[in-house]
This record gives sequence, structure tokens and C-alpha cells, in this order.
Amino acid sequence: MSNLASSTRMNQSRSILSNTIPQASTATLTPPVENESIAIDITGFNAFYGSFQALHDLNLKIPNQKVTAFIGPSGCGKSTLLKWCNRMNDIVPIARATGSLTVGGRNILTRSTDVVDLRRQVGMVFQKANPFPKSIFDNVAYGVRLHYKTSRSELSDLVEWSLKKAALWDEVKDRLKRSALGLSGGQQQRLCIARAIATGPEILLMDEPCSALDPASTARIEDLIFELREQFTIVIVTHNMQQAARCSDRTAFFFDGKIVEEGATEDVFTRPRKQQTEDYVTGKFG
Amino acid sequence: MKDSVAQPRKHRSVARRKLFNNSFSVICLLVSSLAIVVLATLLVAIFSTGGNWLSFEMLSGSHRENNPEGSGIGQAILGSLVICSICGLVALPIGVGTAIFLEEFKPKGRLLRIFHGLVQLNINNLAGVPSIVYGILGLTAFVYMFGAFSPIRVNDQPDHEIGATYFYQTKTLGGQYVRFPAVPLIQPVIKIKQGRNASKINGDKFKLNVVSASTEKSKYANQVNETVLLGTEAKLSSRNGNQVYEAKTIGGEPFNFPAEATYSQFAKIIEPITVSNSDGDTFSLNVLSKSEPIPTDPTILAQSVFADSPDPNKRSSASIFRENSLFHLHLPFSKSVLSAALTLALVILPIVIIASQEAIRGVPQTLREAAFGMGATRWQVVRSAVLPSATPGIMTGAILAMSRAIGEAAPLLAVMGGVLGTTNHLSSLMDKTPVLPVTIFKWAGDENQGFEHLAAAAIIVLLAFLLLMNSLAIFIRYRYEKKLS
Repeated sequence: MSNLASSTRMNQSRSILSNTIPQASTATLTPPVENESIAIDITGFNAFYGSFQALHDLNLKIPNQKVTAFIGPSGCGKSTLLKWCNRMNDIVPIARATGSLTVGGRNILTRSTDVVDLRRQVGMVFQKANPFPKSIFDNVAYGVRLHYKTSRSELSDLVEWSLKKAALWDEVKDRLKRSALGLSGGQQQRLCIARAIATGPEILLMDEPCSALDPASTARIEDLIFELREQFTIVIVTHNMQQAARCSDRTAFFFDGKIVEEGATEDVFTRPRKQQTEDYVTGKFG
Repeated sequence: MKDSVAQPRKHRSVARRKLFNNSFSVICLLVSSLAIVVLATLLVAIFSTGGNWLSFEMLSGSHRENNPEGSGIGQAILGSLVICSICGLVALPIGVGTAIFLEEFKPKGRLLRIFHGLVQLNINNLAGVPSIVYGILGLTAFVYMFGAFSPIRVNDQPDHEIGATYFYQTKTLGGQYVRFPAVPLIQPVIKIKQGRNASKINGDKFKLNVVSASTEKSKYANQVNETVLLGTEAKLSSRNGNQVYEAKTIGGEPFNFPAEATYSQFAKIIEPITVSNSDGDTFSLNVLSKSEPIPTDPTILAQSVFADSPDPNKRSSASIFRENSLFHLHLPFSKSVLSAALTLALVILPIVIIASQEAIRGVPQTLREAAFGMGATRWQVVRSAVLPSATPGIMTGAILAMSRAIGEAAPLLAVMGGVLGTTNHLSSLMDKTPVLPVTIFKWAGDENQGFEHLAAAAIIVLLAFLLLMNSLAIFIRYRYEKKLS
């Protein structure tokens, strides 16, 4: 009886797999994620703001060079987890965390973690585009100048590469010296992505990057995310279910500070194992 | 019916509300026009009193006793500008630094948090302290330096001094002034005139008291071994390779204190020495004895002085002069431009800090996040994201603070005295100088009616400066805002 049950489950999972694969490159993905391809490994993670516990005993493995989406209703803690991945919560005085959050084999929650170097490895794109009031060139060069000593030609090559990667080069190549604040909202957000990838991070964290953009700009950013995953591990927080379904490989559903369900995006959206997940992705609540 | 909310029956009269509205706007208009009227009256009064007195001579001249027509504010303008600039140079970095600490480096540790809170509380309260209080503070802290150094006496060399050269100057028989360098001198015998730190023979240090002979004996009865009478002679001696003066206290206890090099006020010329004249020519001074005939050649005459005299006191003497370099400094600062500038810096420091804090707080948090997210250190965030955006606000605040500094009279009266005119040009930070507000204060109170007109003219100049600085603040704000958007 038990044999039968387990074999059924295996069959099921196999069939799920064949359905989930959107393209060939993800064919090797098998849940759970293999060890060597883990970019971020979260175990027994708790996060607090003062005495309020925002996240409870999370366990999550985020695969390398894939797009992982965090979905869930407002206040469920998905942004909190994202911000802990590059210790951006350090600027919140009352924030603290326990457990382990491993990036590239190192637990980054330890005191000895060099957050400056961590943030070079783990770049971040924010909800609202936040370019500096400087020229477009200086914006992209900002992080590079912080971390590296470069010659002028190296720097301009890098800026061009980053802007091309962020699909912005053609629009701004003639006005690199102009203020970044003159760009449209969507362009500004792509500029922020260019700025983030210019320092050569391995991981890109995106905190609702399209929530302030119109549908056309959103589509461009989504295309961009799809292209960038060949080179970067991307974690994206989103309120937009379609967006998670469109551009992520894996999805984690958060509710009330806990991960309710995590798996291949296709599974989470089409065959959720938990009722709560189904209710959320079908729009019954949230 | 009972559970529904009862609507109030009585309506307020719309006409009455409109009446109140209209009358209040009229009251506001009247009150604000009152302020304009006062300002206009002030301007008319000042211009009618002093307008005619404005002239190039008035703007460039200096104060002359009992001669308002010949007096001017050239020195005062220069003094005000110099003091105000130094004050800004001191207050701006300290103020911006403090504001950055208060806003961007909020500490996490408990003790440091308390310190942070104390600094903030302190600054908020200091902004309202009257400026004369700062004057007294400046007097203690800069002019006298809490008495930590021996006070500066007139016509005497300060103990702690750099950037000054001393020379003797005398007049030759031809009427030409010549000078020769002075060398510090350690006098073999001095008279003790002031209390000082001294050491006993066994090395114990103590503070020496000086009392006059008329002082009641009971006053020093219990410290006879630490007290000398005023004018007690101390003799030069060498102890462990150091030059010291030695003397005995009233109680007969021997003690010593370090011998400081000083200059004698007069040098006797008894033999030929090398001197230079005002043209910079150097030559050997011709020293004549009284018995010699006076040379007739004017060139020789110009290079000759008398030396020989039966009475050594009547030999030709040269008196000492000091030439200050730009960097002349002594401790304590005494009543000087530097003391005045530092005191004014204290006056405007809270204003600069609060304005800078406001400007820094106005920088959007998203910019900080962006910089932190790129892996910037806290300082890099401040340097590259916060300060560029906060600069217009900081500059505006600083200029407005300096326009307050340029109009302050009270603290300057305390730390520099009511200087009206000096014979010397401002040559170092240790000099005194007249400044605009003090000049106006003194002139407005002068018995000579002419000076009242001159004071009004000086007020016009001061107002022009204030207007200029405020326009500069507005201009900077406008330009940066255009640049940043």
C-alpha cells in the first residue's frame, strides 16, 4: 500500500515536471534543488522588527541562475526576506534576524560579514526607481567607482555593457552626460538595473520592480528579467501574479511570515498543494 | 428611530461665516502691512539721515576723533569681511560635520545614543542663547583661554608665540629710521611680579603666590613656603642643563622656575652694528662719540648715531618693534580678530547645524537605499548621495547664518572691545580691527551729531551686505535646484 502510494507520487512529480518546463534550459531543474546549484540557502530563519516577529522559521533554497519569485499578500514578510539577502535591513535600527542565510557558502548573518562586499555580490533593484541626481553615465558608474579602480576607457566600456544588458543603450547612448532624472519611469528602472549589474553581482534582488510602472514598461522589464537570468540569479518580489507566472522559474508563496508553498512556478500556479496557495493564486484573497 | 444618528438641527449662518472669513483676511492684511510700514519707515529714516553721507571717501576712510566729515568705514568693512569669512570657514565644517553625525551616523550603542541625544538637545537649546552670552564664553575660552597661559601684557612678548619677528629701531642723526634684528635675552636678575608654576629643590611642583608688602600677614601665614613678596629678585642659574631663575620664599624655602627668553624694551647702541633702512639697504651704523665733530655729508649723517656719553643711559638707544607675519599667533588669543571670529562661529554654529540637519533630512531615503544597495559604506553614502543633494540647503543655511554673524555687535564688544579705528593695518589674526556693527553702535552714541549721520550711512552699507548675502543664498538654492532636476 505504502509502496503504491509512493510510486504514485513519483509519477505525479514526473508528470508535473514535464508540464512545468517552459524551455529547454530549465530541463535540469528538479525539485528539491540540487546542492551545487544553490545560490541562497535559508534555514531556520527568523526575522524581527523590535519585538515583532516578521518571519518564522523559514527554510528555502534559491537556485542558481534561475528566477525565483516571492509572492504573497502585503505584510507577509517577502520584502523583509529579500532585504535580508543583502543585509539592507541593517539600516533599519530595530531589525534583527536569527538562523542561517547562506550566500555563496557563507552565512551572511554573522557579525563578521562584510556587508559592503556582500552588496557588491548581491545587487538590489528597488520598488521605486531611485537614480541619483547625476548623469546617466555617473549613475551606472557609481557602484563601479565604489568598488574598483578603473581606467576611463574600462569604465565607459563597462557602462556601455551594462546599459546594453539592461536594454537601455539605444535609448540613452546620445545623452549619457544628461541627468538621469530626465528619463521616463520605465527607463529609470532599467537604469537602476544597469547600475546594479555594472558591479558584476552574482545575485540580483528585485523588490516589486514594476509596481510603479505602466504595462508597456512592465513588459520591457519582464523581458529583461527573462534575458538576465542566463547570467544572474534573480529573486523578485511581486504582487502581480501574472508577472510571477510569466517570468519566474520557481515561486515561493508567503503568508503571515511563513512560506506556505514553494516549488516550480508552474506547479504553484496550476497544481498548488495547499488550499491557501490555490485561494491566493486564483484571487480568492490577497 | 432611536438608533439612528440625530442630525444637528441648528445650522450655522452662512452669512456670518462669510463675514468672519472676510474680516479675518482684512485683519491679516492690516497686520502684514504694518510690518511693511515699519520697514519702510526705517529705510526712509536711515536714507534721509545717512544717504547724503555716502561717498567714496566715507567707504574707504577710517575713524577720526571728532571729525565725522573725515571719518569712514573702510577698516570696518574689511574687518567685518575678514571676521565673517574666518567665522564661516570655522563654523561650516564643524556644523556640517555635526549635522552629518546627528543625522547619518546615529549610533546603536546605548551610551553613544545618550551622547547623541545630549548633543541634539544641546544644539536645540543653544540656538536660542543670546549672543552676549557667547561673548562672555568667547572671553573666557579664547581671549583668556581659562587662564591656562600667562596673560598677554601690553608691550611685552607673549610666552607662546609664533610668526612674529622682533627688531630694534632707531633714528639716525640724519633723521632716517634704521632697524636691526633683536635677539632674545635672558636677564641675569628679574623681579617676580606674578604668580607662576614653580618647583622646589626636591622637584615638588607648586603654584607660587605673590603678595604685596602691605598684604596682611595672616593671609599667607599658613603658606609661607609657597609665597613671595612682590618684586622679590630671582637670579639666573643653571639646573640640570636648563636655565632657571632661583629665589627664596618668605619662609626661606629655595625654589626655581624656568627662565623664558624675552626682549628688552631698549637696546643701547655702543658699537657699530649692521642695520637696514626702510629701503632694505644694509650698512654698518656709524657710531660717533660726542667729542667727534658731526659729519656734514648728509649720506654719512643718515648712517650715524651718537654712542659715547659719560652717562650710559644717555647713549643712543633703539626701542623694540614687532613685525607680524600673516600667521602670527600667540596663546591665549587675547582680544583679537581670531577670538572674535571664533566667538561668532560659536554664535552661528547651532544655526548652521540645524539648517544642515534640515537639508540632510530632506534628502529622499530612496537615495540612501540606492547607495547602500550598491555596497557603499556609510561615509560613501554621505559623500556621494546625501551631501550633493543637501548642499543647496546647507549653503543657504550657512549664508543666512553668516549674514547674522556680520550684524552681531554684542559678542564682538566683549571679545575685541569697542575698537573704532587703528593706526596699523590689519596684518594678522592677532590684531584688533573695527567692524561695521560695533562702529555703528559707537557712532550712534557719539555726542558729535555728525557721527549719527555717519552711523546711518554705515547702516545702509551693512544692509546692502545683508541683502547681497541673502540674494546669494536664494541664487544658490535656485541654481542647484535647476541643476538637480
